[in-house]
Amino acid sequence: MAAFPLVVNFVGDYGFKVVLVDDALTIGQVASEAARQLAGVVVAPLAPGETLSVKLPGKAVPLPADVKLADAGLIHLETVEIHRADVGA
Amino acid sequence: MAMLKTEEWYDLARQTNWTPRYVDKQDLFPRELSDLHDLPDDAFDVFDEPYKVTYRDYVRTQREKDVGAYSVRAALARGRFYENAAPGWKALLQLHFGGATFLEYGSVSAFGRGTRFGKAGGMRNMSTFGSLDEIRHTQVHLRFAYDYLGKSRAFDWAHKAPRTDNWVVISERHTFDDIEHTRDATSFAVMTNFAFETCFTNLQFVALSADAARFGDHTFATMLQTIQSDEARHSQIGEPLLRILIEHGKTVEAQKLLDISFWRCWKQFSPLSGICMDYYTPLEHREHSFKEFMQEWVSDQFIRKIIDLGLDRPWYWDIFLEDLETFHHAQQLGVWLYRPTGWWHAVPGVSPEERDWLEQKYPGWNETFGTVWDVIIDNVLEGRLDRTIPEPMPMICNMSGFELTGVPGKKGKVVDYPLDYKGRRYHFGSEVDRWIFQQEPERYAGHLSLVDRFARGVMPQNAEAVLQYMDMAPEERGTDGTNYAWVEPYRRLRGKAA
Repeated sequence: MAAFPLVVNFVGDYGFKVVLVDDALTIGQVASEAARQLAGVVVAPLAPGETLSVKLPGKAVPLPADVKLADAGLIHLETVEIHRADVGA
Repeated sequence: MAMLKTEEWYDLARQTNWTPRYVDKQDLFPRELSDLHDLPDDAFDVFDEPYKVTYRDYVRTQREKDVGAYSVRAALARGRFYENAAPGWKALLQLHFGGATFLEYGSVSAFGRGTRFGKAGGMRNMSTFGSLDEIRHTQVHLRFAYDYLGKSRAFDWAHKAPRTDNWVVISERHTFDDIEHTRDATSFAVMTNFAFETCFTNLQFVALSADAARFGDHTFATMLQTIQSDEARHSQIGEPLLRILIEHGKTVEAQKLLDISFWRCWKQFSPLSGICMDYYTPLEHREHSFKEFMQEWVSDQFIRKIIDLGLDRPWYWDIFLEDLETFHHAQQLGVWLYRPTGWWHAVPGVSPEERDWLEQKYPGWNETFGTVWDVIIDNVLEGRLDRTIPEPMPMICNMSGFELTGVPGKKGKVVDYPLDYKGRRYHFGSEVDRWIFQQEPERYAGHLSLVDRFARGVMPQNAEAVLQYMDMAPEERGTDGTNYAWVEPYRRLRGKAA
């Protein structure tokens, strides 16, 4: 388990944030953690039951939600986008 | 005793080039410090500054300027201007004095490079005056800021800023180290005297002093005007050198110097001056938007000048025009949200009336930048102030040193421009920032932004440690300059009891 910094754009935000997460989290948990830190702060709060996906910039297919961050092939300060389900998952 | 007229001796007296006999020319004027463009020595013989001044006239004029500025200051010292000023104007003063004073002082040394290593006698002469100018600018900044020290600790930063690793200060250092302090004297003159001073300090001091006069801050307006008159003179060192470069077939090199320095200066001025003009200056005292000032001073005057010289507008002009509409609005969001990281007490500048003005000047503002402010307003109205300061750090551009931003909202666009170089990933806020890095990677590659330092564990990875690293004592961390009074119109609009 180690701290893993990601460069995150929660779609709708005005810029990127450095979200520090545990590399033992799954990609889905990373999205939830980013939402905890940013939804209702710089973008509208999540609606009940709203789901999220994590994508690499320019990629149409989201990263698998159940894969661990440490196994996702990302590097420190990798850029990712957090999408709400209705935006482009 | 009859004296010669200035024009009868000036040109002769400033031709101080000679043939060295005791040292090699390379030791006298090392290439790295004098001229990396390998211009022939006699190329500099035609250097002819448009604005000529003798030392006697210089001293007399400067004394008159100081007398004028300090007289206004003394006359108004007993007033209660600062106490009665709008919170936005206080923020502007705090930001200006903390952010500009050390740059003035740094320029003393930068002009010193021109004085010692400039290869034209006239350039060395004018650079000497430039150093003296910048000493005066530093002194007047420090003196005027000191008057406000008893009113706000933020003015400590006029002295303190350069000795800290505050993120804004790191950004300024990175930019001005690049264009002022690590270039040969010829390149420095093009990048600083021409690009920075001809274009951007005109904007800063002319536009800002006009705003100050309209606001009734005659002390600040007078200070800025006396500085601007110096800038107008010594900025003219750059143009003759540009002409020399072009005449000797160095147009491509000159264009690149201009393209790099224009963008680097733009990325400083957009957040600093743009926020001051479009958000901090009270609405009733704004005459033009930041964009309108830029269009007049840059799009019209500056571009006409470089076209006349035989150069082109920078290759990224379309990107610049897009940035002109957006960058400082995104930075204003970040500056307010991360207000504890600044030494000044930021104001949002987004009352309903101000939003109408922003929408009029920047069509589409409400459905883009306004969407983030809507979330902030909800949080303030509901008393969730803890949700108005983001938990994660903002990402920092590895060139500009400012937040890596774009346009928010459903119609927005936020793009990172990454680059992998020697095993490290760099992040840039625009194609231009990345292009600058690629022109000379080794110049920039070693630098660690505040985020890089954080990610590498230079400081403990929590917010308090970051603030301490930036030398932000608890008492000097920025707060909302209005104590959240700005949100009351929204409370009334929503029919909630105060």
